[in-house]
Amino acid sequence: MSDNLGFYLDQSVCTGCKACQIACKDKHDLPVGVTWRRVVEYTGGTWQQDGDTMVPNVFSYYTSIACNHCEDPICVAVCPTTAMHKREDGTVAVDPDKCVGCRYCEWACPYSAPQYNPELGHMTKCDLCADYRSEGKNPACVEACPSRALDWGPIDELRAKYGTVDAVEPLPDPSITRPHLVITPHRDAQPTGSGTGEIANPTEI
Amino acid sequence: MNVHELPLILFTVLAQMSVGAFVALGVVQVVGRLRYGKAAVDEIADPSLYAIGPVLVLGLMASMLHLGNPFNALNTFRHLDSSWLSREIVFGIAFSGLGFLFAALQFLRWGSPALRQALAALTAVVGLGLVWVMSMVYASLPTVPAWNTWATPAQFFLTTFLLGALAVGAAFMGVIMWRRQGLARRFAWVERLAPVRWLLSLRRPEEPPPEAAAAGDAGRRELVEASLRWVATASILLLGVQLVVIVLQQRDLAADPGMPSASVAAYGTAWFVARLVLLVLGAGLLGLTLYRMVADHRSALLVATVATAAFATVLASEIIGRSLFYDSMARIGM
Repeated sequence: MSDNLGFYLDQSVCTGCKACQIACKDKHDLPVGVTWRRVVEYTGGTWQQDGDTMVPNVFSYYTSIACNHCEDPICVAVCPTTAMHKREDGTVAVDPDKCVGCRYCEWACPYSAPQYNPELGHMTKCDLCADYRSEGKNPACVEACPSRALDWGPIDELRAKYGTVDAVEPLPDPSITRPHLVITPHRDAQPTGSGTGEIANPTEI
Repeated sequence: MNVHELPLILFTVLAQMSVGAFVALGVVQVVGRLRYGKAAVDEIADPSLYAIGPVLVLGLMASMLHLGNPFNALNTFRHLDSSWLSREIVFGIAFSGLGFLFAALQFLRWGSPALRQALAALTAVVGLGLVWVMSMVYASLPTVPAWNTWATPAQFFLTTFLLGALAVGAAFMGVIMWRRQGLARRFAWVERLAPVRWLLSLRRPEEPPPEAAAAGDAGRRELVEASLRWVATASILLLGVQLVVIVLQQRDLAADPGMPSASVAAYGTAWFVARLVLLVLGAGLLGLTLYRMVADHRSALLVATVATAAFATVLASEIIGRSLFYDSMARIGM
């Protein structure tokens, strides 16, 4: 694992426009229902007393997630066929010649990264635009972001540059799969497990 | 009902029922042989044994429907060191292979009785292993809290024993009614078909019963009655355990702050009520009725009807329960 590639997301500038999601869908020609990169809206709030007034204290922020090419990918661990595997560059990929399409990885992954493509009869997922990378280009999602909120690269470099935060709601406890993901948290970002809000767009992800 | 996961619902319930029936038949064999002799037990247990095969094959075929690309199915053995799903497939094939081998030897009367007994014991152990491995496919996922609990293996084993016992009860009465109706005579033409004749010609002649004590009608009747009383008692006891497990599981589900609300909501449905009502009706009321009818020596037709109704009702309850189990699937994260 020479490269150990991963993603970076700047939550504080993400506007939830979904340009990354659509760029990914277009680049990989994904059918309806298969969305390798998804933008989650996490929303919540409380009332606060300010003198004699109750004022709303609400938050809402976006998290764009594809596959985090985890250090301990649970999809790879549970796959009965070894079709789901970790490549030399640290990315997690599906071997379509081995996959039976049992969808067990889909049950296991807490980021919804592996997705079943009914037209192909096997699992599919983000490969961090392997073809673009081989041509020296950036992944489609990173290029498409108007806020420049996304970045990619070896996870050690990303962590040196942006820090080590990867545990914000609605993302799961990172100790389960050790994602190659770094986040600059939104100012209202809630720590993982706090359960203070809810996913506002469950049908879009 | 979760129609989407129907292949998995049928596969898990039918495979567990097959294991349970095999184990229950083993208990009847071991305990019954002491009192009623081998011949009497074989006569009633063997046809029931052959009935397990088609049920298991149906279940395994259903599991194939769940795959997107069944042509790659052989790859599913590759990850035994890490994937419970690989282990489930190996145990599933081992149980069906051993079970088929045992049924074939039993039918052809090949091999010594001791060898066949050892094979049956091994099959039963592998079968129970299958139920355990099957439950771990779900219980080992840290990302699905509703499944990641002790209740998953507990419920899979309860399904196994409850359906296994009731299936054997219904099958015994089925064998009795088959004989009563003279169906064996009406289907005698089957034995004249070439492949069947060939199979029967391979059969070794009946070995003389060691105790030389042919059971006779009275002994056979006593054996079936004892078995059915045992089935009814087991079903009532298992119902009690099942209810305790369901209550504790629901309590844990509601008390866990990290539990996705969809998992809790899955059990807040009329289907859950239907599952409980059918369970109490089938395993409790019909189980009790069955016990009383057997104790009162009621007519075989009546006993057969109640035994079949109890089995069918609990089967329906277990299928709904398994459907709810899949409905309760909700992941942590996004």
